[in-house]
Amino acid sequence: MITAERKPLEELIEFIRPYKRILLLGCNECVTVCAAGGRKEVGLLASGLQMALLKSGSNIEIRQHTLERQCDPEYVEELVPMLDGAEAIMSMACGCGVQQLAGRFRDKPVFPAVNTKFMGASERQGVWAERCQGCGNCLLGVTGGICPIARCAKQLMNGPCGGSTGGHCEISDDVDCVWQLIWDRLKALGQTERYLDIMPAKDWRPAGGSGPRKIIREDLAE
Amino acid sequence: MQNSTRLQSQKNKVLVVGGGLGGIRTALDLAEAEKDVILVDRAHTIGGLMTQLDRTFPTNNCDLCTLSPHLSEGSRQQHIELMTMTEVVAVKGSKGNFTVSLQTAPRYINLEKCTACGECLQAFPECVQFNAGLDHRAPTCMRYPQATPQAFSIDLASCTDVQALVAVCPAGAINPDDITTTREVGCAAIVLSPGAELFDPSHLDYLGYSSFPDVVTSLEYERILSASGPTAGRLLRPSTGQQPKKVAWIQCIGSRGLQKGAGAYCSHACCMFALKEAMVTKERFQEDIETTIFYMDMRTFGKDYELYLNRAKNDCGVRFLRSRPHSIVQPEGADGLSITYTVDDSTTQITEEFDMVVLATGFKTSAASRRLAAETGIEMNADFFPVTDIFNPVVTSVPGIYVAGTFEAPKDIPETMVQGSAAACMAGADLPAARKIPDDEEAVLPRERDVSGEEPRVGVFICDCGDNIGGVIDVASLVEDAARLPHVVVAKAEGHGCSRLSMDNIRQTIVDEGLNRVVIGGCSPRTHQGKFQELLARAGINKYLLEIANIRDQSTWVHSGKPAEALSKTRDLLHMAVAAVVKAQPLSDQSLPINKNILVVGGGVSGMTAALQLADQGFQLYLLEKSPQLGGMARKLVKTIEGGDIRDFVGKLIERVEKHPKIQVFTRALVVDHSGMPGMFKTGMQSGPQMFYRQLEHGITILATGAMANRPATYLLDQSPAVRTQIETQQFLTDQPETVRQWDNVVMIQCVGSRVPENPNCSRICCQAAIKNALAILEINPEARIFILYRDMRTFGFHEEYYQRAREKGVIFSRYSLDRPPVATTAGDQVEVSFYDPILSRELTVVADALCLSTGMVSDADSSEELAMIFKLPRTADGFFLEDHVKLRPVDLPVPGFFVAGTAHSPKLIKESISQANAVASRAQTMLARDAINLGAATARVEGKLCAACLICVRACPFGVPFINADGYSEIDPAKCHGCGMCVAECPAKAIQLMQFEDDRILAKVEQLFERIPV
Amino acid sequence: MEKFEPVIVAFCCHYCAYTAADMAGSQRLPYPANVKIIRVPCSGKVDALHIIKAFEKGADGVYVAGCLEGDCHFKNGNERAARRIAYVKNYLEEIGIESERLEMVMISAGMGQRFAQTATEITEKIRALGPSPIRTATAL
Repeated sequence: MITAERKPLEELIEFIRPYKRILLLGCNECVTVCAAGGRKEVGLLASGLQMALLKSGSNIEIRQHTLERQCDPEYVEELVPMLDGAEAIMSMACGCGVQQLAGRFRDKPVFPAVNTKFMGASERQGVWAERCQGCGNCLLGVTGGICPIARCAKQLMNGPCGGSTGGHCEISDDVDCVWQLIWDRLKALGQTERYLDIMPAKDWRPAGGSGPRKIIREDLAE
Repeated sequence: MQNSTRLQSQKNKVLVVGGGLGGIRTALDLAEAEKDVILVDRAHTIGGLMTQLDRTFPTNNCDLCTLSPHLSEGSRQQHIELMTMTEVVAVKGSKGNFTVSLQTAPRYINLEKCTACGECLQAFPECVQFNAGLDHRAPTCMRYPQATPQAFSIDLASCTDVQALVAVCPAGAINPDDITTTREVGCAAIVLSPGAELFDPSHLDYLGYSSFPDVVTSLEYERILSASGPTAGRLLRPSTGQQPKKVAWIQCIGSRGLQKGAGAYCSHACCMFALKEAMVTKERFQEDIETTIFYMDMRTFGKDYELYLNRAKNDCGVRFLRSRPHSIVQPEGADGLSITYTVDDSTTQITEEFDMVVLATGFKTSAASRRLAAETGIEMNADFFPVTDIFNPVVTSVPGIYVAGTFEAPKDIPETMVQGSAAACMAGADLPAARKIPDDEEAVLPRERDVSGEEPRVGVFICDCGDNIGGVIDVASLVEDAARLPHVVVAKAEGHGCSRLSMDNIRQTIVDEGLNRVVIGGCSPRTHQGKFQELLARAGINKYLLEIANIRDQSTWVHSGKPAEALSKTRDLLHMAVAAVVKAQPLSDQSLPINKNILVVGGGVSGMTAALQLADQGFQLYLLEKSPQLGGMARKLVKTIEGGDIRDFVGKLIERVEKHPKIQVFTRALVVDHSGMPGMFKTGMQSGPQMFYRQLEHGITILATGAMANRPATYLLDQSPAVRTQIETQQFLTDQPETVRQWDNVVMIQCVGSRVPENPNCSRICCQAAIKNALAILEINPEARIFILYRDMRTFGFHEEYYQRAREKGVIFSRYSLDRPPVATTAGDQVEVSFYDPILSRELTVVADALCLSTGMVSDADSSEELAMIFKLPRTADGFFLEDHVKLRPVDLPVPGFFVAGTAHSPKLIKESISQANAVASRAQTMLARDAINLGAATARVEGKLCAACLICVRACPFGVPFINADGYSEIDPAKCHGCGMCVAECPAKAIQLMQFEDDRILAKVEQLFERIPV
Repeated sequence: MEKFEPVIVAFCCHYCAYTAADMAGSQRLPYPANVKIIRVPCSGKVDALHIIKAFEKGADGVYVAGCLEGDCHFKNGNERAARRIAYVKNYLEEIGIESERLEMVMISAGMGQRFAQTATEITEKIRALGPSPIRTATAL
């Protein structure tokens, strides 16, 4: 899923300070699952903003709504009747949702309430970790199911750098050296010979190196 | 009444004689266990002595509030036939097959017709007889406002104009031609709980009770304090009608053999009720009143009672004088009463004046009870109390006839409740197997009205609870205020809302006004929610359309000193409740089949007794014992004070348990985990030398884990061979009588490690243990000189007579105080004990061959703490398990399905532990009689279309209940949900709601609370 | 100006804190009437939103009272509540409300005395802090 984290309240207040009526929008997909922008966070943020603004002497109206998905136009369309009078929109969805809104409602400012972080997986309750960078050419089949692109600071393709000590990355002891993980996994699978295959330099074009990417399913596309 | 035909002439029921608290408990326990009962009482209504009390110790609760739910249960239960104004006139037959003649006096009122409207009472204004001799007997009387049966009765002899009386009744219920009727009933067992009466001090002229109106008995004082009493709760001197400034209590009137006609025994409860009266008086009038208690020994030996005494002394400013004044006089022309007394360390006589003197009168059996005893043929002792089994105090000399409550021996309410249940257990065991009656509750309840789509129509009913609420704040103004709230269509004051009369009024109002939401402003929903839910069901609306504003326990009781603040807070609480009830939705209960196996933790006397009782009823028992052997603390004991052979008794008990096919014993067993809910528990344990793990499934858990002998490192214990605890002393007397014969001097020190700051409570058993050992030593060695150094001799009940015997035999009792304790030093094999004697006013030194320390008991802190953690049970500050209600539910633990027996509850004697074990067996059977258990409706519900299937609820649930279903959203099985609401609080999509505690309901309270805050 | 009387919301768990509050009642142990109790089945049921809403509406203080550590009737609701309170305290600071206005306390069913004492201490603390900035701002 796409993970995100709420921006500091201070930053958000600066966004909306000029307005009297805003619409605060949650999304019931990824950001709900990572507890950043679901119905509950929308409620908490609305109250928090309200109070913080009150303290500085301004009083604004914040309406709350949560869409099933902000990244689909049909769901976004639901907002049309709600926008009456709203001077600005603040979205708690990932960047995709924010842009979808901005694209649809051209006359209204749209602000992000969260910082979209990464594509991650849930390690346990309340902990999410980066797992994928969407490089467009998946290597997991040859790296024992562990991604050196998303999980190596240097995105090394052929084994660890000299900073790998005791299974940790030199950046921090909290970060596992992904090549240690890959090696351990290959050993467990009895596929250590794969480690000897030299991987060619990564082609970064499918990763976005040649501009914004798009997928078109011709059979579905109208 | 309506079931009388079904109950006629069957031998499979129990006759309970006496409808006081103990009798009601017996009847309710049997009825809830699906056994038939006839409950008879001589009075017009059931309730007994307790209904006359103002408040009860140690919580200083209003009694009616705690008792009345029991009373109305009593008459509702379909297994109970209630016969008031009825006496036993003859008993024939034997256990299993008694025939009893019952004679019912004329009530002159047709119970079927009487609506208790009170017209007769109004026409005859002085007609409430209930006030314990402080007012005139009236022609019609209903004893107290929550009376059961809810009808009046008439004293025809005092009525001058019968025709006028008959005419005044709008229901035509008065029947002057009513006659005495006699009826024979069959029963398998009889429980006698006719109660006791209080000693009448009229003949003791030196106390002035007959001559001075300001000398009253403690019961009369309770009535004066009571909101339903003759002065409507105002404390006024009977002589002048003014509020007294100084009140004195004199203890032991009619007890401890002091006055003519008094029993030789101690009446057990008087120290506590005098303390309570003095404290309530101080609490109410603070600095305006002085309270003094004249006592011989303060006997606060019950659970946490010592703390109560300390509170009276240290926090409430009650004055205590250890002195026994001879007389109460009123000097010529004086207004007050004067008492002359001496105090410690002085021979000077002090004369002091008081405005009122309360005589703490003790218990005695009434003439009617003695006749009843004679009729049933049970053997009585010299004090006219029944002779009972040494180990089982509810068992009389006649098989099939049991006793309970103050008729058995003087006692307080919790012990009466325990015996009531214990007698139910014994009597129930004499019946043939329980007969299941189809549950026709459905038929009784009206059909539930569908309120969906209706606009909220709220009724607000506010109790004054006598003085408890009405005495602090103006209920009428609250009613007026509530009536103005949105959606409120009716607001009413309801006196005691939980009384039968008020409940009926509320029900009628719900029906008449078409209410679909109800708010009760009264006491805690913890205690009364069930009762009012049932009321809603009877009024034909869903029982969950209710909010209770806890305006008593959490407002008027705690803010009584600040009435304005109490009023404003109470108003807030009511507003919040109204706002919340508007959001309430109809719900239905979940139920599940019950597992009827029982887990008993602890293989001492209590655990074994409870296990045997239940196993004999055919249930499967698992008995866990931590040590390698059964028997517990009793294995170390030899004899009871009465001479009962404990070793023999325990030996036989162990043998029966081990041979019983329905009891599976696990020794060296440790409880390691626990889960589930009442009726379906799972407990993991490790047992045996290999500590094998095994999981037991059971529906009920009984804790009988006992206590520990205390062993404080003091007075040379474990340093000198001459120093022993009382338990060791008893063993020594049995094993080495030769040595005992050589002893010249023996010193015993009481309260070693008890009633001290480290362990403030009294261990209850030590005074009798010291006397038991002292008498045993004199038996072996009549020449021995025995000194017992004590703080208060607490030989309650019949133990007092052993105390007297010890004094007669020359045992020297010398009192010490905590600030000047005895000192022991080693002198070779002997011990030199120095102590200050307050009567001689000098220091004495005794060279003792034996120093016996009364070290008492403490909770087994480690194991009780661990069990409390595993089972989630609360404990008292000193580590004993805390029961659900200290007065009325002494063996039920607050978690349903859990019970406690024996010294795990508090220190007690073997026979008291056995009574508790039997009581637990009875309470357990009330649960086991049902095949399903109601789980209530407080469960979490997922709104599928909001759910993001994020798994946060799945991970948050402490019980692993939610799962993501085939449709891709979270699902929570209401039958498994425990209703904690953790998933609700953590759901990021706000897709889960906990029924009864929905978010909008909680937020409505928050919002309402701040509605009134000035901005 | 009138003397400041704080309004404090106490979310009390049914099994422990609420029972302790009742016990304070039956023992007649006074505590300030400023404390208004809302009963919840478990302290773990108290939603961050409810706390924030209470402040938004004008509460000067909020506390959540659960069972003693390890004693929760629902295993660990009180510990979860304690973590949640710590989180919400940070958020309050971010908003500009003193985090001392929110507390988590643990009280067992038998502790009427402790309940009254805690209620008194918290009320005194809030009284010393003065009216909540939100209440003050709303009044402007």
